[in-house]
Amino acid sequence: MGMLEEIEKLKEEATASLAHIKTPDDAENFRLKFLSRRGSLAQLFEEMKQIPKEEKPGIGKLLNEVRTQLESEFESAREKSESEKKRELGRIDLSIPGRKRYIGRKHPLTQTAEEIKRIFTSIGFGTADGPEIEDDYHNFEALNFPPDHPARDMQDTFFVKPVQTKEGNETGKYVLRTHTSGVQIRVMENNKPPVRVIMPGRVYRNEAISSRSYCLFHQVEGLYVDKNVSLAELKGTITYFAKEFFGSGVKLRFRPSFFPFTEPSAEVDVNCFICSGKGCRICKYTGWLEIMGCGMVDPNVFKFVGYDEKEVSGYAFGMGIERITLLKYGIDDIRLFFENDVRFLNQF
Amino acid sequence: MKISRKWIEQLVDLNGVSDQDIATRLTMAGIEVESFENLSEKYNGFVVGSVMEVVKHPNADKLRLCQVDIAGEIKSIICGAPNVSAGQKVPVGLVGALVPHDQHDPDGKPFQLTRAKIRGIESEGMICSEYELALGDDKNGIMVFEEDAPTGKPLAEYLGMDDTIFEVSLTPNRADCLSHLGIARELSSAFSRKLNPKKPSLHETGEPIAKAAKVEVSDPELCPRYSARVVKGIKIGRSPRWLRVAVEKAGMRSINNVVDATNYVMLELGQPLHAFDLNLIEGHKIIVRRPHESEMKFATLDGKERALSSDMLMICDKDSTIAIAGVMGGANSEINPVTTDILIESANFSPSSVRRTSKKLGLSTEASYRFERGVDPNLTLAALDRVTEIIVQTGGGTVAQGVIDIASTKFAPRRIELHVDQVNRLLGTRLASGEIRRLLESIEIHCDKKSETIFVCFAPTFRGDLEREVDLIEEVGRLYGYEKIEEQHQTRLVFDTRFKETNNTEDLKGYLAGSGFNEIVTNSLQPTDVAGFHSESFVKIANPISEDMASLRTSLLPGALQVVKLNLSYGLKDLKLFEMGRIYSSNGGSNGESFAETEMLSILLTGSADPISFDRNGSEFDIFDLKTEVERLLKHLNLDNWDFIPYDSTREYKQVLKLFMNGSEVGILGQVSETALDKFSIKQGVYFAELNLAEILSARKKTNKFHPLPKFPFASFDLAFIVDSSTPVGSLINSLKSLAGNLFRDIYVFDIYSGSGIPEGKISVAFSVILGSDERTLNDGDIARFIENAESKLAKEFAAALRKQSTK
Repeated sequence: MGMLEEIEKLKEEATASLAHIKTPDDAENFRLKFLSRRGSLAQLFEEMKQIPKEEKPGIGKLLNEVRTQLESEFESAREKSESEKKRELGRIDLSIPGRKRYIGRKHPLTQTAEEIKRIFTSIGFGTADGPEIEDDYHNFEALNFPPDHPARDMQDTFFVKPVQTKEGNETGKYVLRTHTSGVQIRVMENNKPPVRVIMPGRVYRNEAISSRSYCLFHQVEGLYVDKNVSLAELKGTITYFAKEFFGSGVKLRFRPSFFPFTEPSAEVDVNCFICSGKGCRICKYTGWLEIMGCGMVDPNVFKFVGYDEKEVSGYAFGMGIERITLLKYGIDDIRLFFENDVRFLNQF
Repeated sequence: MKISRKWIEQLVDLNGVSDQDIATRLTMAGIEVESFENLSEKYNGFVVGSVMEVVKHPNADKLRLCQVDIAGEIKSIICGAPNVSAGQKVPVGLVGALVPHDQHDPDGKPFQLTRAKIRGIESEGMICSEYELALGDDKNGIMVFEEDAPTGKPLAEYLGMDDTIFEVSLTPNRADCLSHLGIARELSSAFSRKLNPKKPSLHETGEPIAKAAKVEVSDPELCPRYSARVVKGIKIGRSPRWLRVAVEKAGMRSINNVVDATNYVMLELGQPLHAFDLNLIEGHKIIVRRPHESEMKFATLDGKERALSSDMLMICDKDSTIAIAGVMGGANSEINPVTTDILIESANFSPSSVRRTSKKLGLSTEASYRFERGVDPNLTLAALDRVTEIIVQTGGGTVAQGVIDIASTKFAPRRIELHVDQVNRLLGTRLASGEIRRLLESIEIHCDKKSETIFVCFAPTFRGDLEREVDLIEEVGRLYGYEKIEEQHQTRLVFDTRFKETNNTEDLKGYLAGSGFNEIVTNSLQPTDVAGFHSESFVKIANPISEDMASLRTSLLPGALQVVKLNLSYGLKDLKLFEMGRIYSSNGGSNGESFAETEMLSILLTGSADPISFDRNGSEFDIFDLKTEVERLLKHLNLDNWDFIPYDSTREYKQVLKLFMNGSEVGILGQVSETALDKFSIKQGVYFAELNLAEILSARKKTNKFHPLPKFPFASFDLAFIVDSSTPVGSLINSLKSLAGNLFRDIYVFDIYSGSGIPEGKISVAFSVILGSDERTLNDGDIARFIENAESKLAKEFAAALRKQSTK
């Protein structure tokens, strides 16, 4: 077979193959077969070396034309096959759901605590912290709970077993703090007035565990001491907080109460948002939900920390984060917070 | 405390005031009403019936057919009780009434009466037992009333149950309200109605009291006042209905006419009283003293033997102890069915002494509860007169002439100065002095004007809680009404950096949640063996709720494993969790504190690293996932200098790394050991890291300086070494890092391979190295030089052989 026929044959064969290129794989096979360095076209160029000199220009030109043509036709076939593939991809079932990934959340108690903190920080409160293993002085005595006083029964207390210190002494009387109020004392002991802080933290009560009480919970305590701080101002601050937290439609009720470290003292109720005050199981048919205790700092407390009650007055308040979270979401069992069932955690 | 409206109404006129009004006004005055119940509603549809005729049921041997007159109508009622007979007055439930207890139901559930045919004959109602009416435990027959019970009278009215009971929750300062009189006083102020205390009338016809009995108080500090009366010749018996009902409605048990009378007066006036059988008082002499060494055991009237201590105050006769002062009487002197002569004690005891005694004995009584909170020392005589009146009225007897009254001092009202401007300053009000006076006098606090703006006030002895000006200010605020005090907003803006939060965790929690971790909050109280498992110096609780919560945690691990266990039990086995919380130590450390509390951060991985999807197979978490998370966390905090040091396995971990920063250990991470997992029956791998949060947060740079962006591109290339499989990859990296010196930019391990092509006992480790220079673009020669040096360095240090190279 002469060179010319071979070229013609290759051209025919290649053109026929081109028509069958459907996929990128087909295209690659075609390229390997005809256009690659070891492909048929390259072989023909190789054979050019053996033909007589005078035939070379004609055959060479023809071969080059065929190559150019095949290459350009191949390129368009290849492109077509790729867009075929894309169209193929377009047919993937997009109703298949996305891949499952871990979703994390902050604990609902954290969310409540952060929200409370945000509100008070925005009106000028700083933050302070104190130990959970607290001495009797800071947890009770300096807060005007005299020894042998029934006020100590208001909070069931865990006592800490004394240990030997390095010096061989026994530690004094320590408790697991029953409230964050001890931090008030620490703040005033270490800072001159004015002070304006909130004090979040974990507190403990020696109570049987049930759907309504747990051996520990979290509080946010607040304290503001300055010249001429009044009960009216306490009402203003708490009302602002409640409106920010529960919504501007919330109704508040301040009713007299008793805490050893405040005088006068009050409990704050909000109208039950479950039944809008009509009376339901959650509010025990009173239409009101208790959310915090508060009052004016008792002069005895000022004496303990060395503040002059004639110079300054102040208010303090404290609320339970669990309680507020239970109320906010209508959760009926406090233990859910500490079990950490992820089906619970994922709801918030 | 239970307060009866009917009882209150004997002391103050509440005509036209609804139960709800009473509840609201008391609550808003600081006396919280938790709930109230109208008892008569409970007995709607019940009346007093008169049994006219009883015949046997024609179709049943044990049933009887009764004709019962309920005034104006005769009802035909079938009754199965053995004790029914003609002529009786009985409680009758009519069709539609709700019977409080079903006698045939094991739980005694209530049921509604319907018109029913019993063995062919219709019954138009039901004659009830005490149990069915929730008036007692007797199920053995129907209740039978006194003969003069008025036929047709609504049952509630006849029983004295036409009443509302308020459940009042009192704060410890309001001892004065532990009585109907105290509550009535508040209501008289709230509704501006006059208070009408009872004025008992007595006929003292017996011998002079000095002949009948003597009292000696040898410890006046613990017993500031002791008053007593003697009544002789009384008859002990069941109390009349009004007395029984009154005591029971207040939640106490009816005992006999004398004991009920003492309880009644305590509930009415707030003065605890005790009646002794006078003939059981040796020598008819009372001595108030502390017990002798030989008297450390005492049988109280509840039949229990109590261990005394020498600081307790006792009531004694000539020879022995007969009562624990202010707490409980003794079995040896109690009123009994044959008692005829009694001595009634009306005393005042020191609150802290009674409280200590009650705590020590673990015995709290209605009396001790009141004494602990403080009883009016001027109440003893009024209470004595009132109780004597009732005892004579219900049990007869002759009252001895006069009264014994031993008082250590005169108890006068406390004098307190009140400044009007101080009231308004603290409350934020503008109350006029006249208004303040009116409010205080409405609760019997007498006010004298000292000047235009100063009052001298006299706090009555029943208000022992009023000691200081501020206590009076609270009274003014409370009576004026907190709701009327207008809200004010903060008067002064304070710029203060002293209370800046240094270790804010909000962002870090947000980051971890965003990385797919659920935040958990766990109990910091743990069993002692669990706390001790992680550390020797742990904090123990002296009075734990249970052994499960007897110590404070020393690690966040057990709490987290508990959470894994719970979720596994619900089939939730793929978990990413984190917690921030304190661990506790009894080793206070260097700063002289007794105890130490350290803020920790834990993260936990268990289950599938890549939860189920349609096209990729999920692989389980492993130690490198944990290491990755810890590294990402540290990078998130902009930390750049840390080391992971592999350690031997511990009790808690089998693969374990410790995290070091600036030379100190700040955390541990690893695969949790089987020993630890077994305690929680966890069968799948758990990876846990516990980091010292405070230290990590404080290691953050105070300021983070900008680095100019690189001017010249980095060079990136791969190289692989064949080394002994025991060679730590980390050391290879460190060696390459130090070789690169200041050209080092980054390094990754992208393949670790053993098998075909690699000699037995060797591995091929492939690195991707990134180098760069601040002065120029690195060229092929630089890289070739680095690889050449790396080859010889690693060959020398690790007997490593360079495998292949390629530039990207």
